[in-house]
Amino acid sequence: MLFIIEDTINGILMGSIYGLAALGLTVIFGVLKVINFAHGSLLMVGMYVAYWAVLLTGMHPYLSLVVVVPVMFVFGYLLQDILIKPIFKSEKEVREPITVIIVTTGVWYILDNLALLIFGPQYRNIQDNPLRGKMLEIGDMMVSVPKLWGFFTALATALVIYLFLRKTRMGRAVRATSLDRDAASLQGINQYRIYNIAFGMGTAVAGVAGVTLVPFYNVFPTVGVLFDIKCFIIVVLGGLGSIGGALLGGMIIGVIESVGPQFMTATWTEAIVYALFLAFLFLKPSGLFGVKYDW
Amino acid sequence: MQSNRQLICIMITAALVIAGAHAALAQTTIKVGNILPLSGPSASVGLQNKQAQDMAIQEINDAGGIKALGGAKIQMLYADSESKPEKGVAEAERFINTEKVNILTGAWNSAVSYPVSAVAERYGIPFLVPVSVADKITEQGFKYVFRIAAKDSWWTRDQFAFLKDMEKEFNTKIATVAFVYENGDWGKGFAEGWKKLAQQGGYKVVLDEPYPSTATDLSPVVQKIKRANPDVLFLTSNAADAILLTNTMAEYKVKPKAIIASGGGHADPSFMKATGKNARYLFDIVEWETDVNKPGADKTNEKFKKLYGYNLAGESVDAYVAMYVLADALERAKSTDPKAIRDALAATKLTTGPAMIVGYDAIEFDASGQNKHAALVMIQINDIGKGMERITVWPKVSRRANYKPVFPTP
Repeated sequence: MLFIIEDTINGILMGSIYGLAALGLTVIFGVLKVINFAHGSLLMVGMYVAYWAVLLTGMHPYLSLVVVVPVMFVFGYLLQDILIKPIFKSEKEVREPITVIIVTTGVWYILDNLALLIFGPQYRNIQDNPLRGKMLEIGDMMVSVPKLWGFFTALATALVIYLFLRKTRMGRAVRATSLDRDAASLQGINQYRIYNIAFGMGTAVAGVAGVTLVPFYNVFPTVGVLFDIKCFIIVVLGGLGSIGGALLGGMIIGVIESVGPQFMTATWTEAIVYALFLAFLFLKPSGLFGVKYDW
Repeated sequence: MQSNRQLICIMITAALVIAGAHAALAQTTIKVGNILPLSGPSASVGLQNKQAQDMAIQEINDAGGIKALGGAKIQMLYADSESKPEKGVAEAERFINTEKVNILTGAWNSAVSYPVSAVAERYGIPFLVPVSVADKITEQGFKYVFRIAAKDSWWTRDQFAFLKDMEKEFNTKIATVAFVYENGDWGKGFAEGWKKLAQQGGYKVVLDEPYPSTATDLSPVVQKIKRANPDVLFLTSNAADAILLTNTMAEYKVKPKAIIASGGGHADPSFMKATGKNARYLFDIVEWETDVNKPGADKTNEKFKKLYGYNLAGESVDAYVAMYVLADALERAKSTDPKAIRDALAATKLTTGPAMIVGYDAIEFDASGQNKHAALVMIQINDIGKGMERITVWPKVSRRANYKPVFPTP
């Protein structure tokens, strides 16, 4: 029995980090109504920024947030402003511009290959960091400390985004744009600026997810691809655009991946995750918390 | 004016055509199509293969190219398979139909080399495989496939022979074994061999666990190893998962009496960097190690290290050697015709030259295209005062002088 508890805890912790990665995707989708295929690559960029910040200054991995969050916000803001905005403008009449998806796919390939060119394919991790390999031992149970940090960071990030959207003037503008971009424009909201901000936020959240991964995971150019597919599944599971849904969806995947292998071989859990994904698409395409009118 | 300009145009075109034709006459190039995983999960090892081959091609071309073909240069064309079989097949078709290559080489991943071998056979283009070790690649009755590395049934055979020898040498009884492997062709091929050998050797298999190489979290697998509590753990992993498994096992304090890995990710230089002391005492099986006692080996390694910043790994050596096998075959074929190259490859008996940095004494292919002399060594990762390094321990004749292997793991 004990081992199921241990695995469930590990699943929830790891899953919350998946959820955090998916959170950025869901924020961008919620507002722009497009799937950002470059999301995994943004996570990868965030990991490299965190990696170099920690390696060069020797700071605590989580302290690198003060570097990663602003850098990634500006990166996402500019990416949207320079590359994606022109397409939105040329497809004004469409609610869900498909061409944007193609552009984000291009961004994904360019970023991954740039990283490959600049940093090479080597797997990097930070050997000397205060979180590396730390375990919390409760009786016979072991809990990974860096994952625990990731768990609390995920909750805190979700809370901050929630409060921002609910309680601030800017947040209301974001929600208004997400509900109806034309009506929001009529109220004097500059929708393209809101898009930039939403994309910046989503990218910054991907950066936060990168920071939580750096203490225990490898950094390499295609690391984003491994998380990309998970993020899409999680977002569909939790409901597109739903913040709580992303976290819960992540935890569900995490628990399946962690508890599942104790009853079958690890490769089967992947199949279960995909089966669940398909089942949701058939039975409840709006996901756990997806609402009819988005936000 | 108008006619003048036209005339000049015609003259320039004519000059270009003549120059082109002239160049084609004076010097043929031999086009080699090389399919490697240059991005995706195996990109790191793919790049090392490419670097070793670049170095060999550079050496061959600088030394005057292929003399029997009037100093023809070898031109290497690269394609990225991303470790995906379908991508590899598409690139092989492109190489043959569009680029008109004379020979194919690659593809590192067994799962890619296997379907590519069928393409090569169909078009009658020789396919020189440095390292894909799945048995079945040379067991299809194909005439155009040649492999330098030992096949995986030889790897597993030697891993168990090593274990038996260690049990004797250190008087330690091993009763239970666990198999953990990536779920590709390579890992599954190894696991099949292990299962047979464990049965013959009288070991009890307490865990038989394939896992997806793209897993983002391997702690569930590590938990299973911990609960199965095997004496010896056998691993077949690519680089990212090898690093993740080793570090996660250290976190969960999983300490079997010995861990025996199968090259691949464990032989990747970034593995040692990214695992540090967590990899201490791990045993790994490889084709080659830097402390091999062969003339020229240290020089070649030094040159490689100077160029790229890390040591040659066993697989890079096979990739390097493959280029010299190719050059040797071209010298004897005296032709760029794929059929002639194939026949020359089949008649290979290479015992001298830069290729002889390998741990054995000759390269010769049997009827199936397998290099029959390929041999393997076991190494242990340990720190004996100069930081973590890979030290050859088996077979006993190759063991580094004055080194005593640590078995079982303290």
